[in-house]
Amino acid sequence: MKAIFAFGLLVLIAFLGSQFLFKRKKLFLPLSYFFLSGLIYIFLGLSLGKNGLNVLSAGVLEGLNPLISLGLGWIGFIFGFQLEYRYLRRFPQKYVELSLLQSLFVICLVVAASGWLMRYIFPSEPSSLLYGMAVVLGLLLSLNSPSLLKFASSEIPQKGNYYHLARFLVSVSGFWGIGGLALVASFWHFPFLKSSIFSKGLVLLLCSTIFPVFVAYVFHFLTIKKTSEHDLLVYLLGLVFFASGTAAYFNLPPLYICMVLGITFSNLTRIQEKLYPLILSTEKPFYIIFLILIGALWEFNLDYKIALLVVILLILRIVGYSFPLRPLGKILRFSFPLPALFGLCFLSSGGIAVAFIVSLKLIYPFPLIDVFVSVALIATILSELLSPWALKNSIIKLDTEK
Amino acid sequence: MNIIVLAVVFFIMLFLKSSSLAPFSNSSFSPTISLGFILIFAFLVGKTINRFKLPQITGFILAGFFCGPYILKFLSIGDVENLQLLDGLALSLIALTAGGEMRIAELRKNMKTIFSILIFQTVIIIAGFVIFGLLGRSFFPFFAEKNLAQGFALSILLGTLATATSPSTTIAVITETNAKGKYTDLILSTAVIKDFFVIAIFALSLSLSKFLALSGKAIEADVMAMVLREVGGSVLLGSLVGLGIVLYLKFINRETAVFILGVAFFTYQISHGLGLHPLMICLVAGFFVENFSSRGDSLIQAIEKISVPIYVVFFAISGASLNLEGLHRSWVLALIFVVWRGILKFSGTYVGAKIAKEEPGVQKHSWAGFISQAGVALGMAVIVERAFPEWGGEFKALVLAIIAINQIIGPVLLQRLLFKVDEAGKKQLES
Repeated sequence: MKAIFAFGLLVLIAFLGSQFLFKRKKLFLPLSYFFLSGLIYIFLGLSLGKNGLNVLSAGVLEGLNPLISLGLGWIGFIFGFQLEYRYLRRFPQKYVELSLLQSLFVICLVVAASGWLMRYIFPSEPSSLLYGMAVVLGLLLSLNSPSLLKFASSEIPQKGNYYHLARFLVSVSGFWGIGGLALVASFWHFPFLKSSIFSKGLVLLLCSTIFPVFVAYVFHFLTIKKTSEHDLLVYLLGLVFFASGTAAYFNLPPLYICMVLGITFSNLTRIQEKLYPLILSTEKPFYIIFLILIGALWEFNLDYKIALLVVILLILRIVGYSFPLRPLGKILRFSFPLPALFGLCFLSSGGIAVAFIVSLKLIYPFPLIDVFVSVALIATILSELLSPWALKNSIIKLDTEK
Repeated sequence: MNIIVLAVVFFIMLFLKSSSLAPFSNSSFSPTISLGFILIFAFLVGKTINRFKLPQITGFILAGFFCGPYILKFLSIGDVENLQLLDGLALSLIALTAGGEMRIAELRKNMKTIFSILIFQTVIIIAGFVIFGLLGRSFFPFFAEKNLAQGFALSILLGTLATATSPSTTIAVITETNAKGKYTDLILSTAVIKDFFVIAIFALSLSLSKFLALSGKAIEADVMAMVLREVGGSVLLGSLVGLGIVLYLKFINRETAVFILGVAFFTYQISHGLGLHPLMICLVAGFFVENFSSRGDSLIQAIEKISVPIYVVFFAISGASLNLEGLHRSWVLALIFVVWRGILKFSGTYVGAKIAKEEPGVQKHSWAGFISQAGVALGMAVIVERAFPEWGGEFKALVLAIIAINQIIGPVLLQRLLFKVDEAGKKQLES
């Protein structure tokens, strides 16, 4: 099958799928979130990929590389565009501090525990590679998705402090995870994995930060004057394509570069209201395309090593988000207590985690990556399935009790 | 501001493509950068050139031409081939728009003129090129190296290709200038109908040329039957697609832009699989929606929402694929043919319009709307190259050079005409 036909097929599925995604109620029914959140598309991708019908064969997927990098860039841009300072500053500074410390704790915990464990699971692999991957898994676990909370908001009877704090934390946590990915990708740059030099990494990191800021200024200057919707679409598509293509061309994460582009542009421009409908209408189709693609890229493999790592990661996720809350709440002097139970509402990592895993596959094309992709995907799917139950037993309980 | 941004984007691209960065790069993502670059760069060139009262699409084509694989090499031949995947999508959207702009009442009113212009343009242009070929044998080595039968075949094929006009360019200029009126309708309808007419004539000319140039090759009797089958199948499928669009717009009418994009994409793919004419299918579908339902405006609005970036890339890539080597080799002869084709277009249009008893303005000026050439002529040149391996390559190079010149001056002439007859901007005023 030609890549262009596969592209058409993906667009068709995404179009049909987006009509139903996040649109049905009764979220807390068992397994309902599996269908509503779109996780089912991962399995659709798996069945269309080389492990299934081979419609999305390796050759076709390679032909879809430009689409993949554009999609990653688009998701990064949408995420960054929502981080507008004038909205963020309405929240107390300690919210930001809590978000950073919580992410750091999760990352450190995962690096220490899974890095140590992987030395025994993969004894023949170099420890630098294993610790590199442990960092990446830590970053993945630090990501949260706001979709579940948004989707469940109608089923949450009382929206109190916990709900609002959780909405803030899940909305900004991606910044730390994606930023961390840029750090890893720069200092542990793929073609130079073995001979990484600090100065090279620094140059790559600086380039991947300054370049999108520069592109955002270009975008801003183009749209300072009154711009029609058609012109806006051309500029937006062109610049996101250009930035994400440049990132992928240098094996850097398009997610990060376009996130910085989005953040810079949203804080420069005054046309947010005009741009929001344009970009948000594409969010769901892109998300579905990603779920299908990651399913197709997935070298499905479930041996005891993978199962063990998945279980460990799930435990680390729950512990990492729950354990530090009480002390952090005290250190940061929150006016209300932060019980460990509150940490349960951070199990969902949604679309941003899927985009993160696709990024990994893209920037680190070495054989062992497939094992980590399997671990990351299974862990993401399981924690996603647990997340509605966890949400019900954390925020809803806490806000109601209060 | 546009010029500054143009320069900035240009220098970034120059830096990215510099060889010193090659060791860091993953070349499989080169088409993504190229697509982003060409989208912004061509669009800005189009906007800049528009200030000098030239059509934006000339800017898109020129941007593609200069950034393409023959001059600045920002786009490699591989990038151009990859991005040509968008051609089908763009052509389908263009044809849907064209069909959606054609109304039965107006077609009926202009039918006599359209067919009169079509017939006289075709006859005069083919005859003119045959005469040129026969007389030019003593002057041009291109003709002199061939025997009489081959020269005759070559002239007939050149004449047939010279008849073609690009409907996509015509529609793009009309859309860009928001033109509406008698000239607009006449030029648009003639250009679109001519496309099918030229394909049929080409099939006959090719068959006759094979008979003349390749001794012993019989005239293929089923050529017309094949053309009729293609046209009949396309009309039928086009009506079905049109019906599908009407039903969707009537009962669902959600995310229409994505739906139309999907329709355009799959129609193009399926028509290729069935050996039908995608342009005609989409044209009939658009025509069906406009004339047999009340949803024509919704269709055009949905297309307008998504079409601009696709058109920019389409025309920029068509500029990038203009073969400069061919132009360099045979630019003198190509220039002579362009002028000769212009004279013949004028004569054919003048005679056709006069016989249809059109007003003097139409007789004198409407020829300027038929100069642009693109996809169909290009496709026919490729077929000739394959059919006549001995001299087909040389023929194709010459045709590519002619198309390159016509595609640059054609939109300019059409835009000037629409301003001259005061039809530019009329659509916007009415709405």
